[in-house]
Amino acid sequence: MAIRWIALRIIQEIIRDRRTMAFFLLVPIVVMTLIYYALLEDEKAKLGVVTRGVARFYEYPLVSVIEEDEDIEIVSLDIPDKETDPAELDRLIMEEMKKGKAHGILYMDQQLLSERFAGERGAIHIYLEGSRPTSTAAIFSSIAEAMDDLTETMPVVIDAECSAKCANSVNIKAIEIKKHYLYGSEDYRLIDYFLPVFPTFFVFFFTFIISTITFQRERVRGTLERLLIAPVSFSQIILGYISGFIIFSSVQALIIIGYILALIQISFTPHQLFALGVTLFLIMIVALTMGLLASFMAMNEFQAIQFIPLVILPQIFLSDMIWRIESFPLVFQWISYGLPLTHANIISRKVMLQNQSLWENWPQLLSLGGFFLFFMLVMSLVALKRNKNN
Amino acid sequence: MLKIEGLTKRFGKLTAIDNLNLNIPEGLKFGLLGPNGSGKTTLLRMITGLIEPTHGKITLFGKWTPTSRMIRRRVGYMPQQTAVYPGLTVSENIRFFGRIYGLSGRPLEDRLNDILELVELGDKKKEVLSNLSGGMVRRVLLATALIHNPPLLILDEPTAGVDPVLRLKFWDWVDLLVKQGVSIIITTHHISEAERSDQVVFLREGKIIQQGKPFDIMKRFQANNLEAAFVRSTNLK
Ligand SMILES: Nc1ncnc2c1ncn2[C@@H]1O[C@H](COP(=O)(O)OP(=O)(O)OP(=O)(O)O)[C@@H](O)[C@H]1O
Ligand SMILES: [Mg+2]
Repeated sequence: MAIRWIALRIIQEIIRDRRTMAFFLLVPIVVMTLIYYALLEDEKAKLGVVTRGVARFYEYPLVSVIEEDEDIEIVSLDIPDKETDPAELDRLIMEEMKKGKAHGILYMDQQLLSERFAGERGAIHIYLEGSRPTSTAAIFSSIAEAMDDLTETMPVVIDAECSAKCANSVNIKAIEIKKHYLYGSEDYRLIDYFLPVFPTFFVFFFTFIISTITFQRERVRGTLERLLIAPVSFSQIILGYISGFIIFSSVQALIIIGYILALIQISFTPHQLFALGVTLFLIMIVALTMGLLASFMAMNEFQAIQFIPLVILPQIFLSDMIWRIESFPLVFQWISYGLPLTHANIISRKVMLQNQSLWENWPQLLSLGGFFLFFMLVMSLVALKRNKNN
Repeated sequence: MLKIEGLTKRFGKLTAIDNLNLNIPEGLKFGLLGPNGSGKTTLLRMITGLIEPTHGKITLFGKWTPTSRMIRRRVGYMPQQTAVYPGLTVSENIRFFGRIYGLSGRPLEDRLNDILELVELGDKKKEVLSNLSGGMVRRVLLATALIHNPPLLILDEPTAGVDPVLRLKFWDWVDLLVKQGVSIIITTHHISEAERSDQVVFLREGKIIQQGKPFDIMKRFQANNLEAAFVRSTNLK
C-alpha cells in the first residue's frame, strides 16, 4: 500500500511540474539526435592538387585513384596556372591552407619526371595544414596508397632497348613523399588536437554548475532578498559573485593547464599561455552569468538542476570540441555559433595549435564579451521582473 | 514616519492587500496582527521595497517609495524565513550584513559585540550556524537585522517557533531597542504577546479590521486579553 502512495505522490508532483515533464521526455530525443550526427562521421578531408608539367603522367592517374577514396574530397584552388616559380607556389599553397580551403595540397612538378627518368626516386610534396590529425592522416594514407598503385602500373622506362632483360632499366623505386606542415609537425598526435579544449570545457562546466546552485541556494534561503533591499546595487551583487568565484576558477584553471602541459607534446610560449588564460577568464564570466540566469529562470531547485544538462550537453556536441561541427546539419551549425564554448574553443585551438596571437581572434573575443553582456542584461531583466511580481 | 495610502497588492486574482491606509508615528512598538494569509508579510515586503504595490503610495521618512540607498540604510528587516548563511559562523553572518550596510573596522566590531551581548550569543559567536538550535538561529537573524543600527526595525514573526521563555526575551529586547529610540513594526501569531505593543492593527484578508491601543481594543470587545478580542473581532463581519 505504502509503495502505491509513494509512487502516486511522485507521479502527481512530476505531472504538475510541466517543465520537468517536458525535459524528461524531450531531452533524450535531442541528445540522441546530437549523438547520431556526431557519430555519423561523413566528414571528408579536403585535398587540393597542384601540378606543373606532369599532368598526363602523374596527375590524372593519381587523382582518379584518390577520387575513389571516400574519405577524401578533391577541391579546386585559387592558384593561377601560369605561376611556375616554386618559391611563389610554396607561398600560395600555404596561403590557401591558412584560408581553410584545403586540409592538404599535393604538389608535383617536372623535376619529378626528370628524376624518374634518371633512375632516381623522385619526390612529390604533400603540404599539410596539420592542425586536424584525422584529416592529415586521411590525406597521407590516401596519397601513399595511390602512389603505390602508380609506381607498379606505370613503371618509367629508362633504357628502352634493354627493357625486360635488365631490371635496372625500369625505375620501380618508390617515389619519395615529402611532407610540409603549416602547423605542427609529424610528431603531432591526435590527442594534441583535443587537449587545448579541455581547459575551456572544464572551466565552463564547473563554473556554470557551481554558480547555478550557489545562486539558487541564495534565492531559496531568502538571503538574496535581504541583499536586494540592502544599500547595494544589483550589479554590485553580481560583481561580488564574479570576484568570489574567480579565485576558485583560477586555481582550477591553473591545475588544468598545468596537467595539460604535462600531457601535451608541444611546447608553448608565455604569450600562448597568457592568451589561454584570457580565454578562460572570458568563458568563466560567461558561464557565471549563464548560471545566474538559469537560477533566476528556475522556479525550484529541481528546475535549476535541469539547466545543467540542457546547457552543457549541446555544448559538448556542438562546440567543435570532439566532433567536427561540419558533420552536423546546417541548423546545428547555426546553433553552434550561439554557444559560447564554440568561440572559446576556436580561440584556444588557434592560439595553442596554430600559434596565433590572441588579438588575431578578435571576432571570437568580441563574441564572448557579447555573450557576457547579453546574459547579464537578460539576467537583470528576469531578476527584476521576478522581484517586482513576487 | 510611515504613511500608507490606498495601498493595494494583487497576485493574479487574489487581492493580498486591499486599499489599505495606515499611519505609523515614530518611536513606537507597532503590532501587525492577523491570521495566516491575511497579508502581513506582503505588507512588510512592500514597505521594504522588495515588491511593488499594484496601487497606492508608501511614504517612509518623508520620501515616497522607499528605494533610495539613504532610506534602505535606515531600515532593518528580519524576514519570516531564516535568511542567513548556515555555513558561516554567528559573527561571520552578523559581520557580513554589517559590511553590506557600510559598517567596517572598529565601529563594526564594537557594534557586533554589543549585539551579541543583547541577543545573548557571545559564547556562541564562533559556532557555525548549522550547529545551532532553531531558537539560536532566530536570534542570529534578529542580530543581522540590527547590526547597522536602523531607526526603523521591521520584524516578521520574530517569535515563530520560539519557546515561551525566549519569546519573552525577544520582547524584552524589543523594549530595550524602543528605549534607544528605534521604531518597531512587528507581526506575530502569538496575539497575547502583542499586548506589549503601543499600538496594534488587526488585519484580515488584506483589510484593517481593528486599530488602536491594545488596552482600548480589549475594552472594545470586553475581553480580558488581546487574543480574545482578536477572536471576537474576526467573528464580527
Ligand atoms: N508571491 C506570491 N504569489 C502569489 N500569491 C502570494 C504571493 N505571496 C503571497 N501571496 C498570497 O497573498 C496572501 C497573503 O500572504 P502573506 O504571506 O502576506 O500572509 P501572512 O499574513 O504573512 O501569513 P502568515 O501569517 O502565514 O505569514 C496569501 O493568500 C498568499 O497566498
Ligand atoms: Mg507572513
